[in-house]
Amino acid sequence: MITLSQIFKEKGYSRRDFLKFATLTTAMLGLPPAMFPKVVHALETKPKPVVIWLEFQDCAGCSESFIRSTTVMPTEVLLDFISLEYHETLMAPAGYYAEESKREAIEKYRGKYILVVEGSATPEGVYCTVGGHSNYELLKEASEHAGAIVAVGSCACWGGIPKAEPSPTGAKPVYEVLRGKKVVNIPGCPPIGDVMVATIVHFLALGKLPPLDSLGRPRTFYGQTIHDRCYRRAFYNAGRFAESFDDEKARNGYCLYKLGCKGPITRNACPTIRWNGGLSFPIQSGHPCFGCSEPDFWDRGFIYRPLSVVEGGFSSKEIATGIAVGALAGAGIAWINRKLRGGK
Amino acid sequence: MTDVNLYDIIRGPLLKFALFVFFAGISYRFFRVLLLGLPEDYAKPKGNPLTKALEKLALKPTQGWRFFMEVFAHRGIQYVGGFLFHIGFLGLTFFVPQHSFLWKEILGFELPYMPQLVADILAYSALLSLIALTVHRVFNPVLKLLTGKDEYFANILIGTIIFTGLLASRWSGGGLYVWALNLHMLSAVILIAYIPFSRLSHFVYYFLSVFFYGWNVGKRGVSF
Repeated sequence: MITLSQIFKEKGYSRRDFLKFATLTTAMLGLPPAMFPKVVHALETKPKPVVIWLEFQDCAGCSESFIRSTTVMPTEVLLDFISLEYHETLMAPAGYYAEESKREAIEKYRGKYILVVEGSATPEGVYCTVGGHSNYELLKEASEHAGAIVAVGSCACWGGIPKAEPSPTGAKPVYEVLRGKKVVNIPGCPPIGDVMVATIVHFLALGKLPPLDSLGRPRTFYGQTIHDRCYRRAFYNAGRFAESFDDEKARNGYCLYKLGCKGPITRNACPTIRWNGGLSFPIQSGHPCFGCSEPDFWDRGFIYRPLSVVEGGFSSKEIATGIAVGALAGAGIAWINRKLRGGK
Repeated sequence: MTDVNLYDIIRGPLLKFALFVFFAGISYRFFRVLLLGLPEDYAKPKGNPLTKALEKLALKPTQGWRFFMEVFAHRGIQYVGGFLFHIGFLGLTFFVPQHSFLWKEILGFELPYMPQLVADILAYSALLSLIALTVHRVFNPVLKLLTGKDEYFANILIGTIIFTGLLASRWSGGGLYVWALNLHMLSAVILIAYIPFSRLSHFVYYFLSVFFYGWNVGKRGVSF
């Protein structure tokens, strides 16, 4: 039985590195300090988690994000730590042997493995067929005996871009396809890799899923809006806004609300955990948040317009139409009153 | 339905519908009043009605100050509260940054927006004035008789808008922040659609009635 502690040692990392990782994970999960020994004990004694990773209608960006979860642990440790029994993009085998090994893993780790789904599923049609089985059949088969099901990325959580109008494949989010089963949603386009790893570690260390919100997202990471935790929030409060991309105001940290930032209605941990080892996140790089972790973000259709404007637009043409309709109605009723009712 | 779904509905179809109802309703009532049909007046005017009507439109708010001390002694709360409320509410409606971006889309040009500190002062003064004016309405025997459900409903609606607007700009709120935004925008949408059918439409009738009053003053050749 290989544990994370052993993997750290084998890769040449010290116990201090291991404890740092355990401390960071405990903090990221929002667990009280008293839980730290329990997390360390679990990571020292429990076998590495078995993960079966299915990809359907996606761009593999979530996998890319996953293997770059550098804040939590080095990539080489991560890939050894999690026993990825099946992952079409990362695994070496292909074809019949790959499918066979997946089936074996499902049988061997029945009720224990974590099923991670990336991309949206299609209950109708024969899209993303592997080995003669549609993605719907593959999902049903793998979810049957899964210990936990985690949907990663906005495509798996909400349908994402494949579900955007006109949704040619009839894409559905995982939770809709697997009604009745508990699905943890880790949305984002892509989601933060560290959030995915921390959620798996929570399941491993405590034997249960982290507390979820009404949409099945871990509350620790999706409990607050980006706006609340954004370092540019002070400029929003002061009423100072960047006028255009990369202008002097934007470079000085002014709020990007006017450029279409959706931070006030988007829940994610981007401003706190950030990307590439805590280096930056979209707003820090000067681009407004476009709300990728909220349902149907792609169909919202106003990426670069402020949140306070009317969605779909309301211009002088609509005003003129309204005034004309009102004027006609008012004049008509006044005429009726005069002619037919003697001004009463 | 999630809070974000509701937000999309409010700032999409609901806001569009409310704005259309607002412009159509105001126009309807304006023309209804304009074409009311007054009886023909055959008397020769003693002054110039049109000049006086235009003068009253432009200067009436300043002319009232001639009686300031006399009126203020009896209606201080209404004067001070009314002034602060109107300045605050109108200032917030047009010159808060987020609203300025909305007006840019409707009017085609951006209104200058005020610093947040000024917006906060206006919001607090408008909110406190509104509360004071409402309490005054409840306890003043004459105003109480003149006040109906319409006024109370409008006051609650406007109070909700200002309060949730303050929350939206100042409050963190965690996961509940979107609900604060929803409440702010939903109450604003209801108010926009409600204005033409309530006494809040006085912002249009005020000009009509002052014009009519000025016209009559001019016709009689008097100064008030």
